[in-house]
Amino acid sequence: MAHPTQPGFQDAASPLMEELLHFHDHTLMVILMISTLVLYIMITMAMAKLTDMLVLDSQEIEIIWTILPAIVLTFIALPSLRILYLMDEVSDPHLTIKATGHQWYWSYEYSDYENLEFDSYMIPTQDLTPGQFRLLEADHRMVIPVESPIRALVSAEDVLHSWAVPALGIKVDAIPGRLNQTTFMASHPGVFFGQCSEICGANHSFMPIAIEAVPLPHFENWTSLMIEDA
Amino acid sequence: MLHLTTGRVGSLLARRMTAALTSSSARMASHGHEVAANEDLSQPMYWDSTNVPLPDRRYKVTLSSEDERLKQKEKGPWDQLSKEEKLALYRLSFSQTFSEMNQPSAEWKTVVGAMFIFLGLTGLIVWWQKVHVFPKPPRTFDDEWQAKQLQRMLDMRMNPIEGISSKWDYEKGQWK
Repeated sequence: MAHPTQPGFQDAASPLMEELLHFHDHTLMVILMISTLVLYIMITMAMAKLTDMLVLDSQEIEIIWTILPAIVLTFIALPSLRILYLMDEVSDPHLTIKATGHQWYWSYEYSDYENLEFDSYMIPTQDLTPGQFRLLEADHRMVIPVESPIRALVSAEDVLHSWAVPALGIKVDAIPGRLNQTTFMASHPGVFFGQCSEICGANHSFMPIAIEAVPLPHFENWTSLMIEDA
Repeated sequence: MLHLTTGRVGSLLARRMTAALTSSSARMASHGHEVAANEDLSQPMYWDSTNVPLPDRRYKVTLSSEDERLKQKEKGPWDQLSKEEKLALYRLSFSQTFSEMNQPSAEWKTVVGAMFIFLGLTGLIVWWQKVHVFPKPPRTFDDEWQAKQLQRMLDMRMNPIEGISSKWDYEKGQWK
């Protein structure tokens, strides 16, 4: 989860999110350079003596400040497109999970082998035990095996929702009547939180997503227990 | 709704006529405002400007006899003019020198001072809001809860690569 007042992204827990972090760093550097240049120009112009105000045009600089931004943009666009296509790669997922948005909770279905379904409600603030994370804890987490490609099919029962987990670089809109697919992989074990990212009514801020990535034996244990309990 | 009597319409029209037929400066002056001298903009003007340094006319239009004598002397060789004469000739043609034109003013002090005053006032309002308006924050903001929360984040190894858990030395049980 995010540390209070943290200025940057959460650490990447999936390879795609790592790529996005690197891209963000790269683009931020470009932006920093451009902003510094603009700030310098602004200060220089503000402090300049107004002795030569009648310069009207100049072909050369106009050409330069058209070509140079185009080159800068290419430097941003190429890595961006690379990641875009990376996201669409088929990765032969080991597991398919359906995440369905409701007002105001998520439900998860693991239907590959047995029929495992459960709802995931936020734990209200008054029911938290000291140390738990307000607005993020869910009563049933979506457990996945670590280092396995997972396919998530996201949809909604009633209104628009969006299934987002920033640490894994996931944000998929949940649209009623539509099945959106994404694949992801948790690189290391842990709990990764997210919040509904499409306004869906009164409790839009109170339907979090909690994904728990565990080693495969633990995952198998969990599924057996969940199916027994059902 | 509004009944305009003939009298009221008459005075409305009269006021419009007065406004149209008198100059704004005449109206301003008659009401006790200060008014700048009206310039005839069709005649050559004088100005002091660093980026347009040579105005359309000399500063002093009407010259005294002393000034006339100087002007005659100016028509001869210039090395025969004394320094004071050269300066006097300059002051005939120009009101200010370049260094006088470029003199900084003390305006920045007013600006910066006013800026700090408003910042201070805003700060006062913000503090007052904190005390009298905002509700109590949720119990998860208590120091004890925050400490337990931080411990839980470290126990769960959250953000272990460059984030919070990477800053904690798990062997020594202290921050790195």
